[in-house]
Amino acid sequence: MERKAIGVISGKGGVGKTMLTASLATLASNDPEIHAIVMDCDVDAPNLALILPPENEADIKTEDTFTTLKATFLEDKCVHCKQCIDEHFCEFNALSWNEDEEIPEINYLSCEGCNSCKVLCPEHAFEINAVKSGEIITYMTKLNLALVYGKTRLGSTTSGKLVSDAKEFAKELDEFSESNLIIIDGPPGIGCPVIATVSGLDFVITITEPTPSGLHDLIRAIQVVQQFGIPFGIIINKYDLKSSFQEKFKRFIEDTGYDILGNIPFDLSIPNSLSFAEPVVIYDPDSEASKSIKEIYKKIKDRLILL
Amino acid sequence: MAENPKIICVTGGKGGTGKTLVAVNLAVMFKNENYNVLLIDGDVENPNTFLLLGGELSHGTEVPFFIPKIIEEKCTKCGLCSKNCATHALLHIPDAYPIPMLTVCSGCKLCYKICPEKAIEADSKILGWTYSEEMRGISLSLGELRPSEARSAGIVEVLLEKLDNVLENNPEIYDIIILDTAPGAHCDVELLIGKADLVIPITEPTKFGELDLLRIIELIELMNKEYKVVVNRSSLLGFRDEFLRQLEEKNINILGDIPLDDDIVSSYCQGIPIMDKKCEYKGGEGYNAFEKIFNDLKIWLKMDKPKEGK
Repeated sequence: MERKAIGVISGKGGVGKTMLTASLATLASNDPEIHAIVMDCDVDAPNLALILPPENEADIKTEDTFTTLKATFLEDKCVHCKQCIDEHFCEFNALSWNEDEEIPEINYLSCEGCNSCKVLCPEHAFEINAVKSGEIITYMTKLNLALVYGKTRLGSTTSGKLVSDAKEFAKELDEFSESNLIIIDGPPGIGCPVIATVSGLDFVITITEPTPSGLHDLIRAIQVVQQFGIPFGIIINKYDLKSSFQEKFKRFIEDTGYDILGNIPFDLSIPNSLSFAEPVVIYDPDSEASKSIKEIYKKIKDRLILL
Repeated sequence: MAENPKIICVTGGKGGTGKTLVAVNLAVMFKNENYNVLLIDGDVENPNTFLLLGGELSHGTEVPFFIPKIIEEKCTKCGLCSKNCATHALLHIPDAYPIPMLTVCSGCKLCYKICPEKAIEADSKILGWTYSEEMRGISLSLGELRPSEARSAGIVEVLLEKLDNVLENNPEIYDIIILDTAPGAHCDVELLIGKADLVIPITEPTKFGELDLLRIIELIELMNKEYKVVVNRSSLLGFRDEFLRQLEEKNINILGDIPLDDDIVSSYCQGIPIMDKKCEYKGGEGYNAFEKIFNDLKIWLKMDKPKEGK
């Protein structure tokens, strides 16, 4: 198989992205035809590392990223003309006027580092600098496959950029050239980090649960994937959840004609495996949930070979 | 003089822990006691409050967003716009008109402001929508990002501008304001936590839940906000006591816990909040847990004297 990149997204959080990614990575590591790299692009709350720990702690490499841009105010150049406020240099409302000192103040959180204040100020009293946006961590897992994940610095705004940085970082690894499958655990939602995750993938796995919010958020996530024209399949987790919404849910999914990759039953082996921080296909390989994930793995592989 | 409404932010780091479930049921319980409640759904990527309230969204108000429009007749192909664009959203090839790359445009308008030939006009696209609804006696203010758009914070900012307007001009119309956030610890979540008097992070007794809780608490402490945790699905796998003890050992204040409960799942799927007077499930473990949390919350807010009926 030629190298393919796949990602797991869901819209709604907590429906099983990381559980599924960890299990797919485990199955891939046991598959002689596959050489996989696994990534966690949920840079706000990266959890995959908990369930795929390093073979050797000393092996963990951490690199800081400095891709977030922020403005700095240079007080000695300011002539207190207040033009930056009066002419509304900043569209992000990151500039406010300090009446006492007659100088502008920068709201670090709102600042996008867009260059406007720097370019528009006639006295050049602003500059733009790259600040630490987060870190990219990489190591060999106990499954003997490389894991790469990003983690944002709290208060640094740009999670989408860090996702792109982590994906670029993975391409530089020695393991990348030998790999033929990249498996990505995606973030919840449909915004900036999801778009950055999905961009450039060959196939997207969407996972959901049969609840009104699960369906609502799935549809929104699929709309994003469709904008990119990437083929996708659906996995329904907690398939047999006792819910009055079940009938409506199943009818809706059937009517769409979307590619169903499989159903995972509500099975205690999953929460149990998570409490031991193990992929369910290792913790209890014969459970109903594990069996269904193995079927799903085969189906995904079939899809990828045909792409 | 009327007191300003108390603002509570329900958040949590990890997705799917029950943020919206708690936010909606708190709103319902305050309403049950005749308080005027404003619920703001700030999870604009996936707003779900209206689903849990069993309502439908009516007509949304469009949130416009700047995009540059190149007027070719005026453009001299000088490349100044492209050179100064921090996100490289204007591609300049020598002797050609600049090509806008809208997916990376931040909307800063710098190109529009600096073009010496006025060859860039301010056009706009739809970033998403905001909605103002009344559902089950609760005022709901909700934002929705348009799928395939990235700048969710632009919608949250509009919701917060509307909130500021209320706080400035009519603070007396609400007694309590509840903010529901997206999962994660990114700018949308920060903006909402920044507005709150009290923060309630929701977690679950799993290793993922714990890790993400510690991260969101780090953010809340960074922002100097008071907080108390709610542990949802606390009876999962029998780890309740151990999990609560671990939090206590880390000096994390706990507001309460909600056990796994079929009544909660059923009411969730029906779109009738379990604490709504019309909900058929009363007196179960989940229901009782919510009542207890509500009573403790009122003590925390110093709102434990009942409000007089209208």
